[in-house]
Amino acid sequence: MSSATAGPSWIARWRQRLWRLDAADRGPIVLRHRRIYILPTRRGLALLGTLAIMLLTSMNYSLSLGHALTFLVAGLVAAALLQTYRNLAGIAASPLAAGEGFAGGEIRFTLSLANPGASRRGIAFAARTGPPVRIDLPAGATRPVQLSVQAPRRGRIALGRVTVSTDFPLGLWRGWAYIHFPSSGIAYPAPEALPPPLPQGLEGFDVRRSARAADAELAGLRDYHSGDALNRIAWKAVARGGGWYTKQFEGSGAGGALELRWAELPPGLGVEARLSRLSAWILAAERESRAFSLALPGAELPPGSGAAHRRAALTALALFPGESTP
Amino acid sequence: MIFARAPASPLARSQLVWLAALVLCAQLPLWRQLPIWISAVGSGLVVASLLLPADRPLPTRVRRWLLPLLALAVAIGIRVSFGYFLARDPCVAFLCALVGIKFVETRSPRDGGLLACLALFLVLTQFFYGQSIGAAVVALPTVLVLGGALAALREAPALPAAWSAPLIATARMLLQGIPLAALLFILFPRLAGPLWGAPTDTGASSGLSDRMAPGTISELSLSDAVAFRVDFVGRPPPPAQRYWRGPVLSRFDGFEWSAQTRIRGGRLAPDRSRAIEYTVTMEPNNRQWLFALEHAAGLPRPPIDDVTAAVGPVRNIAILTDDQQLLANAPVMQAIRYSQRSTVSDRFEAAGEVDSRENLQLPRGNSRTLSFARKLREQSASDRAFIAAVLEHFHSEPFVYTLAPLLLEGDRVDAFMFDTRRGFCEHYASAFAFALRAAGIPARVVTGYQGGEINPDGGYMIVRDSDAHAWAEALLEGTWQRFDPTAAVAPSRIERGLGAALPPGEPVPYLARLEMTWLKTLRLRWDAVNYQWQRGVVGFNLQRQRDVLRDLGLAAASPWQVAALASALAFVWGLAILGFARARHARADPALALWSRLCRRLARAGLPRAPSEGPLAYVDRAAARWPQWSALLQRIGETYAALRYGPSDAARSERISVLRAGIAALPSPRQMRSPG
Repeated sequence: MSSATAGPSWIARWRQRLWRLDAADRGPIVLRHRRIYILPTRRGLALLGTLAIMLLTSMNYSLSLGHALTFLVAGLVAAALLQTYRNLAGIAASPLAAGEGFAGGEIRFTLSLANPGASRRGIAFAARTGPPVRIDLPAGATRPVQLSVQAPRRGRIALGRVTVSTDFPLGLWRGWAYIHFPSSGIAYPAPEALPPPLPQGLEGFDVRRSARAADAELAGLRDYHSGDALNRIAWKAVARGGGWYTKQFEGSGAGGALELRWAELPPGLGVEARLSRLSAWILAAERESRAFSLALPGAELPPGSGAAHRRAALTALALFPGESTP
Repeated sequence: MIFARAPASPLARSQLVWLAALVLCAQLPLWRQLPIWISAVGSGLVVASLLLPADRPLPTRVRRWLLPLLALAVAIGIRVSFGYFLARDPCVAFLCALVGIKFVETRSPRDGGLLACLALFLVLTQFFYGQSIGAAVVALPTVLVLGGALAALREAPALPAAWSAPLIATARMLLQGIPLAALLFILFPRLAGPLWGAPTDTGASSGLSDRMAPGTISELSLSDAVAFRVDFVGRPPPPAQRYWRGPVLSRFDGFEWSAQTRIRGGRLAPDRSRAIEYTVTMEPNNRQWLFALEHAAGLPRPPIDDVTAAVGPVRNIAILTDDQQLLANAPVMQAIRYSQRSTVSDRFEAAGEVDSRENLQLPRGNSRTLSFARKLREQSASDRAFIAAVLEHFHSEPFVYTLAPLLLEGDRVDAFMFDTRRGFCEHYASAFAFALRAAGIPARVVTGYQGGEINPDGGYMIVRDSDAHAWAEALLEGTWQRFDPTAAVAPSRIERGLGAALPPGEPVPYLARLEMTWLKTLRLRWDAVNYQWQRGVVGFNLQRQRDVLRDLGLAAASPWQVAALASALAFVWGLAILGFARARHARADPALALWSRLCRRLARAGLPRAPSEGPLAYVDRAAARWPQWSALLQRIGETYAALRYGPSDAARSERISVLRAGIAALPSPRQMRSPG
């Protein structure tokens, strides 16, 4: 996050301007000539080489039409360069949302793209990892674009530098620009694959007998967010064509709140293993609509349930130890 | 590289079709130039591999072994059929076939890019064989297809039928690139000579040669092809004096006249004040002769409109031999222009004794002509009287001027003089020179062109192969004098050309005929266009480039100044193209353009619009930031919102001007950024 340069400030400024290694972009970033780089692609280099050979041949044999053909194609290549530039220039990008996920998976970031100018074709967005996303932007359109970033570990995962590139229209030039927003998503600890059963609730209630229908009552529907559990989706509403909603439940679920305590885990477990187990248990509690409380060294969550509670709990695990939740 | 494998992401069929179109377009103009089997292999492979079912491509094993073997076989075939390999034409032939072979094994986009480059080079090679308007017109669509193929390689077309969009996009880019191309064409330095030694390919020669047998010239006369075109500074000489001197033939073996070894050191004709000045634009014929009216008063020079002629000494482009032939330093392989001075005359001073000795040799045989000539000489008072008698003989006896003489055998001169009496100019010139030599008068045959037609479109003279002619000259009292026996037989040939001289029914070339049909008018007009093309485009060389620079006032500019000028112009070109694109977008909706101008200005002032922010919310935010201009900003926002989201009524144009005035009234972004 911090500048890695130790040299004089102008070097740092230029490094930043050339490579955008620091996440210093704020608000909507409009791509302009200061940010846009253009170099020939391999195919473009091959074509330029061919043009050079054609020029030498025309000179040697004094082929006037050879000169004309060479320069005509050179004009085409130069016009393609301008089109490549025009395809990028003027696009405004701003961070819209940062997602969350589990370590080992992907975090999704959403950028918003506005195109005030003429339509753009074949623009590729690429984060450091993950496949580039290609989109077309019609004239005057505003479109979201979702980027996935690999989350190799738990904690905050920065979106990092995004490369916006295009080789429209002829694939002879690649124009690109770097955008570096300070967005970051959160990667929760990967849930343990085969966790032991949930610890018993406060009143000795057997978890496996839990019946959501018994105690949890449907409190209402809310908009579906990606990542919601499949069994919470209001499928009837979907089937009616009424859109995607997620059922929300109130109440204590089965019996009483679970107590998930760091301290009560087997003493032989390491830090990451404990976090993984707690993560898995939170998911299991969520699945069964049971309220739970979480106690970590230095952090405590009162009993609760629902998506917000789950997120708070998983975030506490992700950022363990220390850092305060956002 | 060429036989690279690794089909990482195989090309879609639509992409292959584009590439095939490109390759075929590039090969097509070469079909006329190359051996038929090369074209068949090159283009046949492309078509065949397209016709192959798409789900059953050639097995990898076949591609890996068969195609290199095929390439090798083609190379050997070319070596056998041309007799050599490392020269221009065999290499073009090999490339033409190779592109076809490469197409068969093209699987990946990378191969496709390489193929496009090879095909582009192949397009250039057709200009080795001709730089006519037609060749240029044929090359243009190929460049369009190249753009389409590149666009298709970048992204496979979603619909196979969507072939017109990339062509239109490429056409637009070509149009945008044309100013830059023209700039480069005019300013890019041209070379005076080849880079790596003269191209040594011996193309087919045409026109007159250093040999003349019966039939040589009549065969040439059947062609409408242009030999050269002439721009006269003043009035052209009358037709009967238009003798364009070419190869001079002194040796005769009874069948064929041939040239002597040529020695430099001819004496120029006296440069009188009434010398004629003209500029000749010669078509390439792969021979060394430059043509000038009899007789040259100066050596051929770069055209008179060239600055170098005025500035410094000019390297001579030709020499004058002792028998008054102008020989270029190298065979004329491209159209050349030279300016020439001639003093119109039918005689010139002989070099000396050598001439008379060399031009009396007689082959054995033809005894009837020998005795006829000797008897006639005895009856004549002088050499001149004898020559007049011979010409009178041609005139009064039933000689026929024809393109279709009877076959001559045995003593050919005798057979012509006494048996067939039908012949073309070469028969008359040959028999005449032979008769003179028999009578002891040194004589020889001169070939060249006689006549020329003024093109009413453009006012220049066209001399065609159908004007090819042979005449004779005799050495009398130390002076070589021209005699044209054809004129004795068919005077109209000299006065009015071939079409007037030949009897009806002869195969006179179309353009040599006399009647001025609309078709001939059209052909002459087309020739005028061609002539301008030759001079302006094909003949654009170092000299013409200097002319243009001088006309632009850049004659004294150093190369780096010209380069700097070119760079500046190229920069302006880029800005113009980008500005044009922006303006075109803005025309679509002036309100939107004005609004985005406001957004740009406010963004530069430090307050960019959030993508989701509406106009009213944005100006509210701006008004809060700059309270001193809040009223103006609010009004701009409201006007724009009314334009954009309100009804489109009569007040629209008024609102637009309000919007424009409002934005113009805002202070500059720099002022807005500075606090206070």
